[in-house]
Amino acid sequence: MSSFLKILLKNVLGGPSTDPFPFGPTFEPKRLRGRVVVDPDKCMGCGMCRNSCVAGAIDITKDAESKGWTITVWQDSCCLCASCRTYCPMKAIEIVPDWHSAHFEEDKYSRIEQHTIEYQPCAVCGKPVRVLSLAKAQELYRNDPDVDPELVRHMCRSCRQIKDAEAHVEILEAIPRKAPKQDAAAPEAEAKA
Amino acid sequence: MRLDIDTCLKKASVCSPWLFRINAGSCNGCDVELATTALIPRYDVERLGCHYTGSPRQADIVLVTGPVTIKMRDYVLRVWNEIPEPKVTVAVGICPISGGVFRDSYAIAGPLSRLVPVDVNVPGCPPRPQAIMEGVVLAKQIWMKKLGILEG
Repeated sequence: MSSFLKILLKNVLGGPSTDPFPFGPTFEPKRLRGRVVVDPDKCMGCGMCRNSCVAGAIDITKDAESKGWTITVWQDSCCLCASCRTYCPMKAIEIVPDWHSAHFEEDKYSRIEQHTIEYQPCAVCGKPVRVLSLAKAQELYRNDPDVDPELVRHMCRSCRQIKDAEAHVEILEAIPRKAPKQDAAAPEAEAKA
Repeated sequence: MRLDIDTCLKKASVCSPWLFRINAGSCNGCDVELATTALIPRYDVERLGCHYTGSPRQADIVLVTGPVTIKMRDYVLRVWNEIPEPKVTVAVGICPISGGVFRDSYAIAGPLSRLVPVDVNVPGCPPRPQAIMEGVVLAKQIWMKKLGILEG
């Protein structure tokens, strides 16, 4: 009985519990799933989001002249399961709590999240390459003060390998190797081993 | 504006478009949200003058949930045709809008816009009650335009 009276008193003093929306502001939970947003600086076009999307809302189309790719999310097909956010290795996809989704029929196909990401020439060899985001490059090379993240993020894979080999040439040469053929180097290597 | 019975009836009825729900093979997620919008005092859709009706013949705004399945298609069309003009069709959830996770399935006759003209879409899986309220507000605007009360 006393608990009932407590609730009654709370309701009498607390005022109306009806949400004032649409005549006033409403509350918005912090982790509400409202809309998918793609960060074009981080996306590497690997296609994990497209593979994991249960509703088929994500499409990644490579450019015909291999200049880049276009990532498209159709909000009217997205079921907000957040698979893409979970499986994105670059953390390029996030879901923002923007829940104002009601729209007229003519806007049905214009409610998309679309970004065209273009390749840029490699800083060393000039081959078209997807530039890594600066934050990711800094994160990857945080234990390597000799590497300049700003330069290395503009380099293609083979140029990075060559640069890395050049930097570590002394260490690499110190490693004993098995000689492919019987030659002068073989007895030395065996002796070291 | 002329002051005859038709005009008076139109003006009097603007306050209260009645809602009708069609479940076209929905998983009941959106239906629960629709019931939440109407039945609990927290999101009171009756403040907009809207009221759920059990009969399609009394309805003005029809809320369709679910991807229209092959089995439900004829029933949906039959009930939809019983609603008098002018009516406003609202697709609630991603399933009637685009097919959602059921798109390209052998058991689906939808999306809804393939079968009947849709006016307002409320995407979400399910949409939150406030989004449904927003959709009902848009539907009410369209309904008033169709009645000739609101300009536009």
